Amino acid sequence: MDRRSVLKGLAGASGLALTGGLSAPAIAQGAAARTLRFVPQANLANFDPIWGTQYVVRNAAAMVWDTLYGIDSSFQPQRQMVESEEVTDDGTTWTFKLRPGLKFHDGEPVRSKDVVASLNRWAARDPMGLMLKAIQQELTAVDDRTFKWVLKQPYPKMLFALGKNNSPCAFIMPERIAQTDPFKQISDYVGSGPLKFVKGEWVPGAKAVFEKFTDYVPRQEKPSWLAGGKQVMIDRVEWVIMPDPATAAAALQNGEVDWWENPIADLVPVLKNNKNISVDIGDPLGNIGSFRMNFLYPPFNNVKARRAVLMALSQEDYMRSIVGDDNSLWKALPSFFTPDTPLYTELGGDILKGKRDLNAAKKLLAESGYSGEPVTCLVAQDQPITKAMGDVTADLLKKLGMNVDFVATDWGTVGARRALKTPPGQGGWNMFHTWHAGADCVNPAPYTAIRANGDKAWFGWPTSEATEKEVTSWFEAKNLDEEKAAIGRLNKAAMDDVVYAPTGFFLSYTAWRKNVSGVAKGPVPLFWGVSKSA
Amino acid sequence: MLSYILRRLVATLPVMAIVALFVFSLLYIAPGDPAVVIAGDQASPEDVERIRQSLGLDRPFLIQFGSWVWRILHGDLGTSIFTNLPVSTMIGQRLGPTLSLMIVTLLLTIVVAVPLGVIAAWKAGSFIDRAIMGFAVFGFSLPVFVVGYMLAYIFALRLEWLPVQGYTPLTEGFWPWLENLILPAVALGCVYIALVARITRAAMLEVLQQDYIRTAKAKGLGQGGILFIHALKNAAVPIVTVIGIGIALLIGGAVVTESVFAIPGLGRLTIDAILRRDYPVIQGIVLLFSFVYVLVNLMIDVTYTLVDPRIRY
Repeated sequence: MDRRSVLKGLAGASGLALTGGLSAPAIAQGAAARTLRFVPQANLANFDPIWGTQYVVRNAAAMVWDTLYGIDSSFQPQRQMVESEEVTDDGTTWTFKLRPGLKFHDGEPVRSKDVVASLNRWAARDPMGLMLKAIQQELTAVDDRTFKWVLKQPYPKMLFALGKNNSPCAFIMPERIAQTDPFKQISDYVGSGPLKFVKGEWVPGAKAVFEKFTDYVPRQEKPSWLAGGKQVMIDRVEWVIMPDPATAAAALQNGEVDWWENPIADLVPVLKNNKNISVDIGDPLGNIGSFRMNFLYPPFNNVKARRAVLMALSQEDYMRSIVGDDNSLWKALPSFFTPDTPLYTELGGDILKGKRDLNAAKKLLAESGYSGEPVTCLVAQDQPITKAMGDVTADLLKKLGMNVDFVATDWGTVGARRALKTPPGQGGWNMFHTWHAGADCVNPAPYTAIRANGDKAWFGWPTSEATEKEVTSWFEAKNLDEEKAAIGRLNKAAMDDVVYAPTGFFLSYTAWRKNVSGVAKGPVPLFWGVSKSA
Repeated sequence: MLSYILRRLVATLPVMAIVALFVFSLLYIAPGDPAVVIAGDQASPEDVERIRQSLGLDRPFLIQFGSWVWRILHGDLGTSIFTNLPVSTMIGQRLGPTLSLMIVTLLLTIVVAVPLGVIAAWKAGSFIDRAIMGFAVFGFSLPVFVVGYMLAYIFALRLEWLPVQGYTPLTEGFWPWLENLILPAVALGCVYIALVARITRAAMLEVLQQDYIRTAKAKGLGQGGILFIHALKNAAVPIVTVIGIGIALLIGGAVVTESVFAIPGLGRLTIDAILRRDYPVIQGIVLLFSFVYVLVNLMIDVTYTLVDPRIRY
């Protein structure tokens, strides 16, 4: 008998008296093996993937709601809920047919009217959806399994839009749920995906539970990211929210959880030393670090000032501040696009290559007319990645001779303040730090941060006509060669005008117990194909 | 006594209202915006504004506060901005773990700290006294999270006696409930035990110098009888006070402890709500905590009459 059993016995004896005989239910070994306990990257604080667009919500939603198409590991949209599609020669009328036998978790069949309502809600919130809506003539259900989308002009990226995995994804919900105002949160979480959400066991901030949907009919193809056959091999997935990384690491080592989505770099060596734990890169698309400069006010309303910063920055400094000494976790990135993806280019990225030239940067900054005004640098210090990058930037700006007003605060404040267009001295800002999921930077469709259409652009409100022209070129491209050419020109234009400053490409690990198998790399944690032995 | 208790309970209402108004105002003027957090990093300013409007966050301060007070008067704590769940449900989900943690910590403290304080006073100036007070200084100085990590490393990771994290309701068995609480209660209790032990020692030392103790000794009463029957009862008022006030420490400490041991309690809920600016949840928790404080103070006052019959209200 081990010491834990002795303690258990003693407590059981005393507990019997105190609780009138309540005792622990024996958990069968098999049941434990069929439950996968997963520590997600963040708390699932809400569960409407259209209303709230955090990655963690998208990741949970990908289990519960299915999509018409799914992007595979080659970045190609593959049929998922759709059985077939037809498009007229002029590219304006799309007719889709749903797979037979699709069911929602409440037992109702998936009908075209559900799809139409879902696409309408999605299109009100998604950038690609908004583009489609702008050229839409009609979106109608033809019959229970067929729906038609008629456009005023062709939209070559239609299937990518319906299958893309960046938030908000075009998830299909029952019509009654999808009719909810897209700016109001749903409270009914019925989907047709491979797992059901157990609303009754949801404790936001602590636990979210998903059960296998036994009526789900997977496709026959091999699974590949969000495409292919989603075969669920476990009965139940429990998301255990752990705000403290050290606790998550200890729980994984102890076998109290089975899979930790993204262990912090500092704890990875400990996990790697444990013979019961596997550690590997989780999302091969990684992340792109960035800081954005405000185009509205001096000094960064002058392209020379922006270029001076770009010319002086060392991506290695930024990346080491995030990932430490592990060289396999980062890459220099003279580009705005995700490395090792089909459209990746370094065209125009010379300013980020080679030896850093502080003197030339200082000279360029002086030419911009910078005269020592404070540069308000916003940093969310409750996010280790942005805090680390902010520290490097503050040092860089000081070396350039800039007067840094370093505002270290929480993410909620940075998020609110960066939306202000007022001058920096009146509540506004000059620069802030963030990062972009590599999955969002594979092409311009999901890539809000690359847009440079002034007032309509993302925070910093960059204006670059050349960049916008090439975004349009990419959307209109008819084949891969045209797409690549457009992206090359786009990268150069965005780099010339410094739409934002890329600070490098970084990856992160995922870690799981060795009795769990089938953990696949992907832009979201993929639960299909994963099994667990006792 | 009953009328005193009723008067005190009624007096809690304005206290809670003032605290709520203060907290509401503080949150209102603090920077940060829940709509931004909800909308996510890629959202446009227009999206954020639409969400603000749908949540009523664009309305003037007085209207927001008035509507909240109106709901409270109707027994409705509101709905979380983020989860869309009633605040009362969220608090209800988290109350059990926090209460359990506090009860176990409180029991642990009383069982450990009071005897330690008594022994230290009895052996004042000796090695035992210095050792106990040294331990108290050590316990008081170490932050909860440091003790927590040390305990988790030793008892969970190395010895594998206890779990690292989580909470199991009592309905699922006494041991599953207790095994999750032992390490957090010890971590949280360290400061508390140190405080209560020091106060107990000081109070006992004062009482042990009284004439009636000398008389009791002269009559030949045993040490146990003198310490635990005569002296401890008369030293009880400051001890009860510090135990009561210490509940405030427990609530503060629970925030850290619940994070370190991943216990889904009110402490973690509070932190999450503050970071996300989930106003209705913060307000609900503040109201609850205010009520708990007032209630604890009342219980302390009532307890005084039990331990010292000379006290009357």
